[in-house]
Amino acid sequence: MKGISFGQYYPADSVIHRLDPRIKIIMTILYIICTFLCKSVTSFAVLVLSVIALIMFSRIPVRVVLRSVRPLLIIIAFTFVINIFWSTGEQLLVEFWIFRIYAEGVWNAVFMFLRIFALVTGTGVLLTYTTTPMDLTDALESLLSPLKKLHVPVHVFAMMMSITLRFIPTLTEETEKIMNAQKARGADFTSGSLIRRAKSLIPILIPLFVSAINRALELANAMECRCYHGGDGRTRLNVLKCHTKDMVAAILMIVFGVGLVFLNFVPFIYVMK
Amino acid sequence: MDKIILDHVSYIYSAGTPFEQKALDDICLGIRGGCITGIIGHTGSGKSTMMQMLNGLAKPTFGKVLLDGYDINSTMEDVFEEWRILPEYASLSDRKAKKAIGAEIKKRKAGLCFRVGLVMQYPEYQLFEETVFRDIAFGPRNMGLSEEEIRERVLEAAVFTDIGAELLDKSPFDLSGGQKRRVALAGVIAMRPEVLVLDEPAAGLDPLGRSFIFDGIRDYQRKTGSTVLIVSHSMEDMARYCDDVIVMSGARVLRKGSREEVFAHVEELARTGLDIPQITRVMASLRERGVPVPKNIYTVEEAVSALKAVFAEEGTK
Repeated sequence: MKGISFGQYYPADSVIHRLDPRIKIIMTILYIICTFLCKSVTSFAVLVLSVIALIMFSRIPVRVVLRSVRPLLIIIAFTFVINIFWSTGEQLLVEFWIFRIYAEGVWNAVFMFLRIFALVTGTGVLLTYTTTPMDLTDALESLLSPLKKLHVPVHVFAMMMSITLRFIPTLTEETEKIMNAQKARGADFTSGSLIRRAKSLIPILIPLFVSAINRALELANAMECRCYHGGDGRTRLNVLKCHTKDMVAAILMIVFGVGLVFLNFVPFIYVMK
Repeated sequence: MDKIILDHVSYIYSAGTPFEQKALDDICLGIRGGCITGIIGHTGSGKSTMMQMLNGLAKPTFGKVLLDGYDINSTMEDVFEEWRILPEYASLSDRKAKKAIGAEIKKRKAGLCFRVGLVMQYPEYQLFEETVFRDIAFGPRNMGLSEEEIRERVLEAAVFTDIGAELLDKSPFDLSGGQKRRVALAGVIAMRPEVLVLDEPAAGLDPLGRSFIFDGIRDYQRKTGSTVLIVSHSMEDMARYCDDVIVMSGARVLRKGSREEVFAHVEELARTGLDIPQITRVMASLRERGVPVPKNIYTVEEAVSALKAVFAEEGTK
């Protein structure tokens, strides 16, 4: 239960932490595009360097960043193997039974691995590790605000999202508390047949739903008591402002992407077709 | 020997992250069997964590929790050490021995929560059954008792907690806050634990609700001779119901001893920001003004009889 942490926000004081969250979202999208632009050894080398640079700038321990890759290891390994065995090319390396491994296949597999790695760590460092969930929803609301013209209730969605995010830890804590209370009365969640185990969840789920519904009602009352009436005309405590450093960061990201495209034309060792 | 012993127990939250926090710091404690022990301390002084350790819900990061002299978190190795000298063990093969030890540990763990009944903070959220009766019966049913025995225990627990027979067939969600609390308490008492641990059992209740709860706990303790631990920050309740008091502050034990011993250190308690019972303060200021009342008064009843004695003396003069 302890493992559930939505938004892996890691508190630190760094350049990336202080950037405007809207710019960070845009930069993250650009960075994802960048990882797919890479095609040559040189551009991938620069991509790896950029990951290292981002981690250094964010002041997040490498150990923490690598932890975010762990759940994806199976997918990475799978694509790696697929690429090695199913790519065809001109330079045959090994041949046994029905398998033929080509140099191109090995390169593609390595590139794929680096791409996923950069994708996960890059987005983590640029966004989820360095931005609080609240900042994230605020930024989304601001970025999506043009949709208001099309009568999309952007504010309502953003509010729903921030309330959800806000209550995930609360509900987790609550679940843990209820589980402990029922365990203290001898409830057993881990043994017995599947049906028995499913039944053993009733003593957790009923109290949890009851309290979640009560909590929602209380929250709605509390919001109404403070005259909450939706997004129109509402001012904010923290107004997002775009500074020069944010613009510089965004421009650097664009330059980085353009640079990668140029590096794809450097015929050094191997270039993907 | 003490019923419960905490031997150099420490507990660290989220070890190895920036949120690391020490909840308990090298606690050594003995808790006497067969009496009511109160634990006072600020929020965040590690009381609740300590309570959850007593029935194995939380495991100490370091140190041991002993119940009747046995480590409640004993591992494979510990049981092995214990059993090595037994003749029955020598005849078993390695695999069988391992299996037997595993089963023994499981048995000990399962039995533990019935031996040490834990009532958590705001326990009314744990109610889930259709009727009050069935909810109280949840614990005894998990113990695998017969229907007759379950019935007997539920009714007994209902008497202790002053739940009328007419409530037993109601839905627990239709009850008032205080009644819910009592049903939750009954759910634990129905397991007849030899150690009853209560975390802020009367938090948020009105005075009448408080005394219902505490009287029920005291009745249970008196009739069964079990060991009771109550966490609270109400000095009044502590003074009224507890035999021993433990004061915790900043993850450590500040003071422990009988009620009289602990409340004698009034200044020290005041310095940690804990309140001494109101009536004790009133008596202290009376004494300052020259009224000859004794020093160790902690409940209103005691104060009344002390003042009566003073008036009687003045009458004779």
